[in-house]
Parts: sequence; C-alpha cells; structure tokens
Amino acid sequence: MRPLTEDESKAVFTKLANYIGKNLVHLIDRPDDPHCFRLQKDRVYYMSEANMRMSISVARPNLVSVGTCLGKFSKSGVFKLHITALDILAQYAKYKVWVKANGEMPYLYGNHVVKAHLGRITEDTPEHQGVVIYSMSDVPLGFGVTARSTVDTRKLDPTAIIVFHQADVGEYLRDEDTLF
Amino acid sequence: MDLSAVVAQQTAAQAAKYKSVAVEKEIPLEADVGLLTIIDPNPIDAEAYQADREVHLQALARDGVQALLAQVFALPTKSSIHGPLAILPQPTTKLPRAKPLPKPRMLTKWEKFANAKGISHRKRINKVWDEEKKEWVARWGYRGKNKEAEQQWLHEIPANKPADYDPRAEARKARKERKDKNELAKQKNLEYNARMQAKRDVIDRSVARSRMSTASMGKFDKTLEGEKKPRGVKRKFAPNEASSTEKERSMALISKLDGKPVSKKARIDPRPNPGRTEDVLNVRKAVKFASRGAGSLALGRSLEKPKKRTMSKTSRKKMGGRH
Repeated sequence: MRPLTEDESKAVFTKLANYIGKNLVHLIDRPDDPHCFRLQKDRVYYMSEANMRMSISVARPNLVSVGTCLGKFSKSGVFKLHITALDILAQYAKYKVWVKANGEMPYLYGNHVVKAHLGRITEDTPEHQGVVIYSMSDVPLGFGVTARSTVDTRKLDPTAIIVFHQADVGEYLRDEDTLF
Repeated sequence: MDLSAVVAQQTAAQAAKYKSVAVEKEIPLEADVGLLTIIDPNPIDAEAYQADREVHLQALARDGVQALLAQVFALPTKSSIHGPLAILPQPTTKLPRAKPLPKPRMLTKWEKFANAKGISHRKRINKVWDEEKKEWVARWGYRGKNKEAEQQWLHEIPANKPADYDPRAEARKARKERKDKNELAKQKNLEYNARMQAKRDVIDRSVARSRMSTASMGKFDKTLEGEKKPRGVKRKFAPNEASSTEKERSMALISKLDGKPVSKKARIDPRPNPGRTEDVLNVRKAVKFASRGAGSLALGRSLEKPKKRTMSKTSRKKMGGRH
C-alpha cells in the first residue's frame, strides 16, 4: 500500500471529476474525518486515515481490501472506475439520469440506457458527460457516459442509446471474484 | 476466635490472590528504564515451560513488567494535564545506528599532499598564548591575534617606506589576501571534486550500459573479480503515513485540473446560451422573473425610479446585483 504518484493522482482525479466535478474537493478536504487515496497492487482505495494507519501493519500479500475500492489501473496506466465507487459518485453526482422501472433490469444486466427507458435527466447535461444512473425511486444503479446532450435527446427515436453503460450494481454478482 | 488469627488468615488469602510486588530472581533482572526495557538473564525453567508454555511465559512477562513498573514508579515525577508523568533517565543500552555510515568526504588538494608526505593533521585550537598580555587570546575572530598588527596603538614605519604609507591598511590588506587565497583554494577543491565525481559517474554509467549490451543482456557474461551487480534505478514513493502534505498536494493538483475541461470528450454545447453557467442561480431566468418578462433594461430603469418599481423585495435579493 502506498500513496499515489502525481500521474496516478491525476488519472484518478480526472476520472472522478468527470462524474462529480468540483465536488471532488469534498472527498479530499474532510476536516472531521480525514480520508486518503492509497494504491494496493493495482487498485486504488479511498479510506479514512485511521483505517490507513491500521492497515499499514498488514503485509502486502495479506491485504485484500481496505476502505472503498474506487477502481483499478490497467497495465497501460489507464484508470478504470469500478461499481464499488458508486456510493461516492452517487453522493456527489453532478449530472443524473433516472431510468423507468421497465428499464432497470435491462440496465442491471449490462445494457446501455435507451431513450424508451429514460425517466428523467438533469437539465443541460452535455454530450459524453459522466452521469450516475438512478431508479425512479432514487436508488443509484450504476454510472455511464451520455451519448447525446439533453437537448439532442428530445428528437431521438425510442431505441436510440442515451447513456453508454460503464458499470452497474449487477456487477456485484457478475464480477464478484475480480471486483474488490 | 482470636482477632489476630482472623487478620492473619485474611492477609494470607490476599497474598494468595495477588502476587508479591517484589520480584525475586536468582539472577537479578537487568533494567534500562530509559528505554522502558527489562531483560531477564535467568535460564528458562524447562519443566515449567514444557508443562504449560503459555502460563510460564505469562508468568515471566508478568514478573518483568512488575519489576519494570516498580522502578518506573520510584522515578521522580512531574505533573501534567494528563496526570503525573515519570521523568525517565537517559537510556544506558547502546543501540545500533539506524542509518548507514556517511560516505567518506573527497580529499582536498592539501589533504592529498599531506597524506603523500605523511603529514598528520593536528587539531588547531583557536587559542594562542600571548607572551605580553600573559593570557590566552583568540587566534582569529574578536580581538584575534591575527588582527594584532592592524589594531595596535602605535605603528612602526620602516625607513624605506614613503610618507603616505599606512601600516594599518597594509596589515589589513595582507590579512584579507590570506583569507581570499584560502577561499579560492576551497572553491577550487570543491569544483575539482565535483568534476571528478561527474567523470566517474559517466564512466560508471557507460560501464553499466556496455555490460547490458550483449546478446544475453549481460546474463552470461564473465564477471571480473570485485565487480558489483548492476543496480537499476529504484522507484521512490511518498511515505505512507506522513500525509500532512498529501492533502495540499491533492488540492494543488485539482486546482491545476480546474482550468481544463473535465474530460477531453465532454463537449459543451457551443450554441450561445447566456443562461448556462456553473452557478446555482440561473441569471437569465432570475432577470426574467424579477422584471416580469420585461428584460434587464426595464428592470434597470425601474430600479432607478424606486417609485415605479415592479418587483418584490425577495426577487431583488435573488438578483444579488448580477445584472
């Protein structure tokens, strides 16, 4: 376990900022309960400093997971967010998409969000913007990237993709063994 | 029943319940209270150890801690907000140093010469005996012996010197020259050593590169005697725990990211839309609402003439002077 280098931090922060924008500051600046980002093997974890101090004494091969796993670095140095980061993203999300009840299951099986399943969307969402996807009862289901801006979605046909799927809570079952 | 018998019985029961505070050992325990350490040099009782290891070890540990605490409680104390604190003495145990020994300094030109000639260095103290004053005076510095010639109250002028000869200035000049010469020599030594080190580094690097430049990348090459294994560059990471600066670094990184678009792919609608801002307040809508659809110009006019104002107090507050 070690702190991120500057390049790694940059990769993580840009990825997070795509979803939560300037709210990223609230993840780092938490005066009541200071938190930090740590890299263990290729995964990035977000944990309280108290937890970090305790986990220092655990040997690297024995440390399976600590805090919240945000995602992993691929071999080529690209940072990929995991569904485990959803809690944090949903808390601070800037742009949101709500899917209708009939669209929940298709989305949770890993499909994109189509126009027919779109319940609501944040006004002024730009194209290719990271969004968090909620059910109509405001339960976060996953996150993705918008295919069109809010304005452009109005003229699309019902089968057109609105949000590209990136991660959904179904992965907790599907990718259980590699997720954390 | 006799009272003394009852008391004796009770104290016996107490003694059985609580072990003695005094620790008795064949070889007395060695303590280093400064490091809060106690060492038990007694050999382990094999029978007791075999019978029940945990109990035996716990008993040993208990005795050690008891003896240590007894010594700590005998120490002088000072009061603090957390209660009395014992003042620990200096540790007596010598611990090995944590860091490796510093590398030997490169020799100066004089040191090399002195070594070659067998001149041994002797420590020169900054005190010299003054025969006239009958006391020890500083060799240099305040009232130093080296300034004696320029600070004396009466100067002798040699007969062959011109009339404007200033012995005070001459002596001072000579002293300053000696100092400058030494400074120059020091500078030259530093430069020379840096140059030599750089040369050595270049050689080391090229040797390392040439050793890796064979078909097997140096794996099956014969090594010379005393040749060390080539070392790669070690990666360095920030310490895990000393995270006082970590937050500042992260914040600086975020503020650097702030100027650029969040994602390279995220496209903001290029169509002119004055209402699209990062703020919570949609200025265009607020103006429209406050002026009841008349626009900002009408709103400005109405503000100039307070009699005719059409908007409520709350809506003016919302505006916040942004129009």
